[in-house]
Amino acid sequence: MTSLQLSPADTDMLEGKQGRATQFAMETIVAAARIGDAESLIDISFAHIDSCFYSGRAHLDFVRYLLEHNARLAVPTWTNTGLVSLNDLSVRDPSAGTGMNEARLLMEAYVRLGCKPVWTCAPYQLPGRPGLGDHIVGSESNAVSFYNSVIGARTNKYGDFFDVCAAITGRVPYTGLHRDEGRQARLLVTLEAIPEAVKSSDIFYHLLGYLLGLHCSNLVPVVEGLAPTTTEDDLKAISAACCSSGSVPLFHAVGITPEAATLDDACFNETAEQVIEFGLDDLQRARDELGQNSNAPLKGIALGTPHFSYTEFERLTGLLQGRSINPGLVFYLTTSRHVYQQAAQQGWVAQLEQAGVKIITDTCTYFSPAVNGLRGKIMTNAAKWAYYAPGMLPVQVVLGSLAECVESAVAGEVILDSWSES
Amino acid sequence: MKPVGKTVQGRVLVPGQASGPAMVLDETLSFWGGFNPVNGEIIDVHHPQHRARVGGTVLFISQSRGSAGTPGAIAETLRNGSGPAAFVLASADLNISVGVMVANRLYELNVPVVEIALTQFALIENEINIQVSEAGLISGAWLHY
Repeated sequence: MTSLQLSPADTDMLEGKQGRATQFAMETIVAAARIGDAESLIDISFAHIDSCFYSGRAHLDFVRYLLEHNARLAVPTWTNTGLVSLNDLSVRDPSAGTGMNEARLLMEAYVRLGCKPVWTCAPYQLPGRPGLGDHIVGSESNAVSFYNSVIGARTNKYGDFFDVCAAITGRVPYTGLHRDEGRQARLLVTLEAIPEAVKSSDIFYHLLGYLLGLHCSNLVPVVEGLAPTTTEDDLKAISAACCSSGSVPLFHAVGITPEAATLDDACFNETAEQVIEFGLDDLQRARDELGQNSNAPLKGIALGTPHFSYTEFERLTGLLQGRSINPGLVFYLTTSRHVYQQAAQQGWVAQLEQAGVKIITDTCTYFSPAVNGLRGKIMTNAAKWAYYAPGMLPVQVVLGSLAECVESAVAGEVILDSWSES
Repeated sequence: MKPVGKTVQGRVLVPGQASGPAMVLDETLSFWGGFNPVNGEIIDVHHPQHRARVGGTVLFISQSRGSAGTPGAIAETLRNGSGPAAFVLASADLNISVGVMVANRLYELNVPVVEIALTQFALIENEINIQVSEAGLISGAWLHY
């Protein structure tokens, strides 16, 4: 049992000298520090909060308590997706329970609290993102994994309420992934038996992430064998999938991620405690576990989990050039307001809408209540969507690459290429 | 075999006091997305205890998993009265603890969160009655000891 050293400013907050809300926030941070055996707290420079995502009245009660007691944010604080889209409240049936109205009230409350309303699970796609070594608070699980792994910013996997308490106090316990030793890779993942051609498909990264989540949730993994051409979209896919099937708030990829220029760098010049090899059969099993095709008719496509990036828009627009979605299907794409504006400026939004794509901002499609028309057999390119949606929505999922999703959407039936055909 | 009363001293993560039938989760769970806070049901189709309800139990769960929505879902299930009477973990899980802390504060509840060693989970038989004290003492008529 270590004893927690607080700064004079910490103590002032704890004693209520900055008001009741800040006191409550600091009480929560201090309790968390004691739970995590922290010796001290450290400053953060940024927070991305999930507490704006409604899952019940408790969320609203919490932020109302803070607002009633004049809470102020200490650091720039950005918002995760909401349950509803403030740009289009009709995306989810507004009569689907009182929750729809409270979800909107919750989002508005966080704007009143002073958050920047970006409403995205992929805040790292926006300008002004944190840098290597910055201590931050990430909350949504894919964002935590991406910030740690791909950017090299430092955050533990925080969650609702704590994220806001940290943003109000500007402090977190100095534990876990904030510390150098917490970031050492201890599990080596090799991919030697996987052909380069497979690695060139976007679905490979979703499946790899899913496998990392299943097998690497207790040790920081380092993946060896990713191509130098691996993109941030690919790394986003890994981040989202590994935090759906498991908890991997940090992974390294040799030659790709900033703390893994070499395997030795990632492992702090030590030998990994465990080695695990993933092969084609593992990828196939992952794909089968995430959803198998059936004879049921294809009803729709869902893309953008996590939110679609600028480069994904570019790619999708190219794939759909001069083509139309089969009129029997719904085709949803979720993204942030910021990336939507970028895509609109390129003319891509208009082209995609012309082809039959329905673009949604501020929220996502994989959770309940269902976005309008999203039921039956749905195809997605996202392992996270495939993992969560069947528990929350009346859907059966088929997982495919972005190109397979597009071909299927145009044909009106599932089209999978050879290696993915089970 | 006759039940024999035994105790284990846990580490208090969130102070409180409760009793209820034991429910031991065979795998971790994401409380957001894998759990319905309205009725306390496990809805993760990949979970071996899919469709089981956790309401009123002393819930033994090694740690939570996945989504950041865990604390919100925990606070909401406790607000609804569909949540566990107590949590016994095998890790210092911040998300479960924060959810319980906030619910205890907002709704004046007294739900405890206690940490024990994962090996001690094997001592616990489902449905036997368990008491959790303010000091983190876990007691019950355990069949396996």
